[in-house]
Amino acid sequence: MQSVIEIDGLRKVYGEVEAVRDISFSVAAGEVFCLLGPNGAGKTTTTEILEGYRARSAGEVRVLGHDPEDGERALRERVGIVLQEAAAQAELTVAEVLTMYGRYYPRRRPAGELIELVGLAGKESQRVKLLSGGQRRRLDLALALVGDPDLLFLDEPTTGFDPSARRQAWSTIKDLCALGKTVFLTTHFMDEAQALADRVAVMVDGRIVALGTPAEIGGRDTAPTEIAFALPAHVALSDLPALDGAEVSETAPLRVHVITREGLRSAHELTGWALERGVELRGFAVSQPSLEDVYLRLTENQEATSR
Amino acid sequence: MTAMSETLERAGGDDIPRDERTGDVALTAWQVAYEQRAFWRNRTRAFFSFGMPVMLLLLFGALNSGGKIQELGNIPYVTFFLPGILAYGIVITQFVNMAGGIAIQRDNGLLKRMRGTPLPGWAYVSGRLGSTALVSVVMTVVMLIIGWVGFDVHLRAAAVPAVVVTVLLGAATFAALGLAAVMIIPNAEAAPVVANVLILPLSFISGIWYPLTGAPEWLVDVAKFFPLEHLANALHIAFDPLNHGSAWSGNDLFVLAIWLLVGTRLAMRFWQREMAR
Repeated sequence: MQSVIEIDGLRKVYGEVEAVRDISFSVAAGEVFCLLGPNGAGKTTTTEILEGYRARSAGEVRVLGHDPEDGERALRERVGIVLQEAAAQAELTVAEVLTMYGRYYPRRRPAGELIELVGLAGKESQRVKLLSGGQRRRLDLALALVGDPDLLFLDEPTTGFDPSARRQAWSTIKDLCALGKTVFLTTHFMDEAQALADRVAVMVDGRIVALGTPAEIGGRDTAPTEIAFALPAHVALSDLPALDGAEVSETAPLRVHVITREGLRSAHELTGWALERGVELRGFAVSQPSLEDVYLRLTENQEATSR
Repeated sequence: MTAMSETLERAGGDDIPRDERTGDVALTAWQVAYEQRAFWRNRTRAFFSFGMPVMLLLLFGALNSGGKIQELGNIPYVTFFLPGILAYGIVITQFVNMAGGIAIQRDNGLLKRMRGTPLPGWAYVSGRLGSTALVSVVMTVVMLIIGWVGFDVHLRAAAVPAVVVTVLLGAATFAALGLAAVMIIPNAEAAPVVANVLILPLSFISGIWYPLTGAPEWLVDVAKFFPLEHLANALHIAFDPLNHGSAWSGNDLFVLAIWLLVGTRLAMRFWQREMAR
């Protein structure tokens, strides 16, 4: 598949500080690519280099075949950007702003349609300064879509949203991908990456420490299974059947935690044993490490080694 | 798929308007139009940079309706005051309003947003310049009408070209200096302070409110270093009923032109920092 974004050996140095330290990846057409990392990891610097706001210190960058540093109009005509925080013309109405920005693009969507898309119907003739915070974020998205872009940059698009507004924003973003738009997303929310991304790159301290699909990143798919349950008071830990290759521990009195390479077999042996004895195992749960577990492990490792 | 994506899908089909790029001239004209709309809708700003100078003309004109200025050959006070307050109004609109407005847009991210669109930086700045220039032109016309109708101040037909050129040159000079001043304005809240600290004292020593005939020479020399005195003086000469002919003030226009070059040079630095891609 054709690459929309290609980065090779990208570095950005501010004085003594290396904000981005030799990162490389590419984003395919139609993909939702998520850059995940803690604050200060270099996500925004990387994004702003791709958007053309910042010059890089070293490395190769191509966005839709252009070098974003050149600031070519032809590139900006195909890219939509939602910044973390940026004002629009406060005195103009929603419809006026969308029409005004539409004139900047050769391929444009009508204002009425965009208003419908982002759920601002009824606010057409509202001045931008009178919109609520959430409505402004929707206008941001509408302004990013006005030129019918091939590539959309979303920098922490749901920071400050309430849970239902986040769900709504996610479904909007998913709809955009369904139309073959390429989306480059940064976030520090694990669930956002999980819900939206085709691929996730975890960025810590200027480096990409893991890259893959949300399901397999950081060896999530091959990591040991965890089984947790509570034992009734009359059953001791030593009464449990021997589980091959599993590590059994009591995390709290009567709370049992099992880490096993053979999740299915261990679960079967435990439940079989419990049914046979008529023992109730409350809260019996089998799980793979969550994206959050993997993320925390990755970021902790990284911080430990960089110290 | 939701209703939203169906709308998108439909729009993404054949019926999406695949227009040409808007031409440079049309793009700039649209920018001027939108800036104008935004300017007049912001009542506070419109009053401060347009309404106040006009109001000062009405106020000072009414307060001194019978007054004459002996030092200037007994011309009526308002005949002296109109060109001065016009110069002051041009500075408020072009310099204070430009510097303050752009500083706000720099701080609230609007300039950054604009840079992310295909709108060329020059088109954005041209829109701002064109719109404020229009405000200055409207202000000039309104003041001339007020002077004519209310205070019997008549601009001689022969002096009209000198007034037009002076107003436009002054507007350009102070707009360029306004853009340059954005660099010394640390944040949007400081904009009115910085602008007033620069402009208000300068207006007192530049012969806006009273003639400089009694002022100490060194103070006049200080005033003459800056462009405001020259803008006011060129307009004073053009409006002076004791003058004849076209009343050009070549010396003052020359100094304004130098400041225009300096301002443009400094404004280019603003451009490189904030608008260039």
